[in-house]
Amino acid sequence: MYRQGDVLFIPVEPAAVPDCGPVPRDRRGRMVVARGEATGHAHVVGGPGLRLLADLDDPERMFVEVPAHGRITHEEHGPISLPAGHYRVVRQREYLPGTFRPVAD
Amino acid sequence: MKLTHADEAMAAAVEERWLAAAAQTGPAQRAAAEAGVREAYRLAGAPEPGRIYWFGSPRAGAAAVALLSGAPAPGPAWFAAVHAGLLDQGWTPGETAGASLRRRVRTEPWAAARKAAVEALGADGWAQLGAAAGRRSWGLMMDLVAGRLRLRLGEDLAADFPGDTGRPVRTPVLDAIYGQHDGAWLSTFEAADRLCPDAGLMTGLTGLAQVARHCGWWWANERAAVLTERPETLARDNVGRLHRGEGAAMEFPDGYGLWAWRGMPIPADLAAELPTLDVDRIRREENAEIRRVMLEHFGYERYLRESGARRSGSDETGTLWHLDLPGDEPLVMVEVVNSTPEPDGTSRVYWLRVPPRTRSAREGVAWTFGLTAEEYHPLIQT
Repeated sequence: MYRQGDVLFIPVEPAAVPDCGPVPRDRRGRMVVARGEATGHAHVVGGPGLRLLADLDDPERMFVEVPAHGRITHEEHGPISLPAGHYRVVRQREYLPGTFRPVAD
Repeated sequence: MKLTHADEAMAAAVEERWLAAAAQTGPAQRAAAEAGVREAYRLAGAPEPGRIYWFGSPRAGAAAVALLSGAPAPGPAWFAAVHAGLLDQGWTPGETAGASLRRRVRTEPWAAARKAAVEALGADGWAQLGAAAGRRSWGLMMDLVAGRLRLRLGEDLAADFPGDTGRPVRTPVLDAIYGQHDGAWLSTFEAADRLCPDAGLMTGLTGLAQVARHCGWWWANERAAVLTERPETLARDNVGRLHRGEGAAMEFPDGYGLWAWRGMPIPADLAAELPTLDVDRIRREENAEIRRVMLEHFGYERYLRESGARRSGSDETGTLWHLDLPGDEPLVMVEVVNSTPEPDGTSRVYWLRVPPRTRSAREGVAWTFGLTAEEYHPLIQT
């Protein structure tokens, strides 16, 4: 698994990926995994044939399909190379009594 | 129709501009907004409003509509100020605004445009477009800002005008047109219009869109429209929730405001106390929700240090801290050192609150990603 700041990429079997649709690109044509609303900084994935997907039943659950190799970038964190495979994207959360909320950097 | 990546990027750019309009602060562009109102009436097939009144906040706007609907004048000082504001703007008591045109001006054009857009783009294309230019702004503006404002406005009016006699002052809230916040859905239609320029998808919405670019909430009635200013202050946290510790997170030029801490509305007297908190005061607070707000504002790490928290272990992921809170579950936090050094070479330390039963820093960090301590093994982290 690979971690960039508040986002973790966990390898999964292809069979574990549910029915998904592509996540729309942002206005700069990037595939954005997570974004800080205040800073505008974003965790972005890319690579040949790489796809960022969202669970059709739960658009907040995202997956990355990497046919060859990929790369994760962010304004404040070092880039990470992703080997071929399927990954589940997990956004870091923080505990609040009775509930929790997402962390964002 | 299937959207290309370029289509989605275009849609996202349209949404970005509408999000900026929805979060815009500062004085309304009155002439442009009024022209938009007239156009919206024209498009709805209604005669232009004889009068357009301006007020400083949605609270004042709702009150003005109530007065223009024949509501009785007595009320708190701010309500009397609205009454005076109407007189200043040439209102003769007894003169009414007539029936609401909200349905004709907003709901019906929206429904017609939606139908046309689904026909032009197909159900799949429309859904794809909604994801590219709508879902994010809806969550950010309608759920986190406009919805909170509407809820708080309803509560504030209910407090000032309780019971059956207060009903005429409270009902205009249901009739508000959201002005700048309508950008949250207008973005989807503008993007659709760019994709299918011949389908006329924005034709019925141009008046509404012009008002949305230039002012805050407004009311459309047969003989008069009531328009309001945008907020002077709109403070949000990194995930877009209303958030400010030293004043109202959303404040309008007539002084009406909404205090909130990380999206949770807070009473103004608590807000006034936040800058001068100390460990003792926080410990004495009996309401757990309020104490949580106090703790967050004060800073968990400072509170842990100043109140004698116990260091309960550390490993390669960080340090675990534990503090008992009387009458509440313990405060347990992981102190983590950021993996990527700052430009000056130092490493930023940050704190994450984790469930009270957490036994190690590793278990705590793993929990923040929904994993067990055994499952959490990042190969690379930056």
